[in-house]
Amino acid sequence: MTKSEFYEKLEFILELESHTINGSETLQDLEGWDSLAKLSFIAMGDVEFSTIVPAKALLACKSVVDLIKLFDGKII
Amino acid sequence: MAGLSMKNSAIRGIVSAVPAHSEGMDGLAQAFGEEETRRIARAIGVHARRISRPEQCASDLCFHAAARLLSELGWAKDSVDAMIFVSQTFDYICPATSCVLHGRLGLSKTCAAFDISLGCSGYVYGLWNAASLIASGCRRVLLLVGDTVSKCISPLDKSTKPLFGDAGTATALEFEEGPVMHFELGTDGTGYKHLIIPAGGFRQRHTTEGRSQREDGNVRCDEDVYMDGAEIFTFTLREVPPMLKRVLVSANWDLKDIDAFVFHQANRFILGHLSNKMKLPPESVPFSLEEFGNTSSASIPLTISHRLRSLLQSKSARLVLGGFGIGFSWGAVALETGPMLLPELEVVQ
Repeated sequence: MTKSEFYEKLEFILELESHTINGSETLQDLEGWDSLAKLSFIAMGDVEFSTIVPAKALLACKSVVDLIKLFDGKII
Repeated sequence: MAGLSMKNSAIRGIVSAVPAHSEGMDGLAQAFGEEETRRIARAIGVHARRISRPEQCASDLCFHAAARLLSELGWAKDSVDAMIFVSQTFDYICPATSCVLHGRLGLSKTCAAFDISLGCSGYVYGLWNAASLIASGCRRVLLLVGDTVSKCISPLDKSTKPLFGDAGTATALEFEEGPVMHFELGTDGTGYKHLIIPAGGFRQRHTTEGRSQREDGNVRCDEDVYMDGAEIFTFTLREVPPMLKRVLVSANWDLKDIDAFVFHQANRFILGHLSNKMKLPPESVPFSLEEFGNTSSASIPLTISHRLRSLLQSKSARLVLGGFGIGFSWGAVALETGPMLLPELEVVQ
């Protein structure tokens, strides 16, 4: 998956307009990054990458860049 | 434990009882905002929950269910050899609520009675225990399973308040040569902190602190349920699909052989994702949480009572029941069961 495709997935989860996310955001900046969004993100990781993101690792993420790192090079 | 097969136990009937008072989602808008309440309701799939009166316990709901079950089956009270009460919302710290229920139901003094403290996985563990008792010589076992989790919920915690409802159930099992139940059971006790009521037991008798805003943004105290949804979801994804695959292998069944997969009604999002991941036909996964919410240990028998009456009243069906959650604890059983007594829901005033 490319980074822009990943941003689109994130925008869909957060119910944001297209091209709102460019990768420089902190998660605190993102409106709607809450417990329900985290569940949707974990589900997306399972479907798209067959990766079950550990909840603790997700909780430690501070930025969109950190989220990308969770998938270990599968987002280019 | 993998691949446990219990022989010669048949389910004769299930009665589920719910409190009369139904609470919709509208009342939550004041605490969480209208848009947020709608968003939560959409995600978890709950439209209403049955809430017990302050003095009404899980045992009261189970009592009504059990009395009706015994009466409609025509079982003499002295014919019940054992009774199990599965719940995490018991009457007293001690004695065991099963003893209280034994007295109320007027069961025989030769009837064994004991409690099991489990939630989401409790019905499957209860069936396993009941079938084990029958394998050890009991002829008739009464399995009472229910919870009133609404009593331990902060009204200002949006991860739990919109989700949990109350219910009590009774299941009658009897010796019969032939039927086989295939069980898969498991535990990961390292996850115990992710779904917990920290105070009220003997580790922390009481909390002196009132409700306050916690790290996750919700307002609660240590005598309220705390739930980390992300931890529950990742545990479910990790453990439940392999458990279901193993139980199907034990029973030597394919997905297409199953009439219904009845899961613990965790929430709609989790069950929807799980069903898609397992490629289960949507029509084979019944839900009851729209009307009743997540009723903890009672959710599987309540879903059977509410959604599978027409299937199971007249013929036998192949079911896979799966419970998973608090503990972390999980269990699945594959069984061919029915026809059985499945009356309409008992509504308790």
